[in-house]
Amino acid sequence: MKKSYKLALAVFSVIAVAGVLYGLYKYNLKPKDLQKVKPDFVLTATDLLKAFESDENGAAAKFVDKVVEVSGTIQSVKPGENGALTISLNTGNDISSVLCTLQGNAEPVNFKTGEQITIRGNCSGFLMDVLLNNCSVIQK
Amino acid sequence: MKRLIFSIIILNLVFSVNAQKYMTKNGFISFYGHTPMEDIKADNNQVASVLDISTGDLVFQVLIKSFHFDRALMEEHFNENYLESDKFPKATFKGKITNLQSVNFAKNGTYDVTVDGDLTIRDATNKVSAKGSIEVISGGINANSKFNISPEDYKINIPGVVREKIAKNLEVTVTMKYSPL
Repeated sequence: MKKSYKLALAVFSVIAVAGVLYGLYKYNLKPKDLQKVKPDFVLTATDLLKAFESDENGAAAKFVDKVVEVSGTIQSVKPGENGALTISLNTGNDISSVLCTLQGNAEPVNFKTGEQITIRGNCSGFLMDVLLNNCSVIQK
Repeated sequence: MKRLIFSIIILNLVFSVNAQKYMTKNGFISFYGHTPMEDIKADNNQVASVLDISTGDLVFQVLIKSFHFDRALMEEHFNENYLESDKFPKATFKGKITNLQSVNFAKNGTYDVTVDGDLTIRDATNKVSAKGSIEVISGGINANSKFNISPEDYKINIPGVVREKIAKNLEVTVTMKYSPL
């Protein structure tokens, strides 16, 4: 009787400790480093914008919350207030582009207008541009 | 000849209208809430905003999913449980500078302004009045503001268990760097 009681207590404590550890692990989890995540879609910035322009709802259902890898040439590079860079990619459209906000801090001098670049990011949708977040530079 | 004069008039119109409007697509909005249990902070570098200096009209638009947190779980809860960003993807603010006459857009400098307008988050719209500043610089306009909002005003349901972890008031910081449209 006593023995099984002890055993139950031991099992319970192990589960409790594991639960707390798992909780702490989940709680402290950083945003995913997309460098290590396989993209759901690989396409050009022009094609991504076209998809949203021709059918915004359909494209949103397809791309939003997915990891999208886009390639194109750099239109502009803007440093944000918190040190995160936002790179916009040419799409052949004067008004809309693909805006990619990089994860972490990066030096703006490393990116030049007109340069070819491939960026992977989480698609958050379409405002005036297609917006990608938590981005990693894959190739320059 | 007539045609030429006509196109000059049109061009003039276009340029004079354009000079009145300023825009950014890389505006910055962050919010911050503090409780003894937990600090909540999120940044958004993808704010689209237009400022019309002839009328003082100001429009801001953000995608909820563009708010970025340091903790992945917090971002997930923010999107799925609280803001339901699949159902309500955008937040907008439409307002006006109420003391436009005290800003001289022709002269570089910093001017204090008050902006009144409607803030729509999820499906709830509330009146917001915020103090801020307009900085006129060569080739652009910077705008800054800080104000508080309460999650409860926007029908954001926070379960009792975590109620103490989420601040009753969130401080919103707005930093815009506009260029002429």
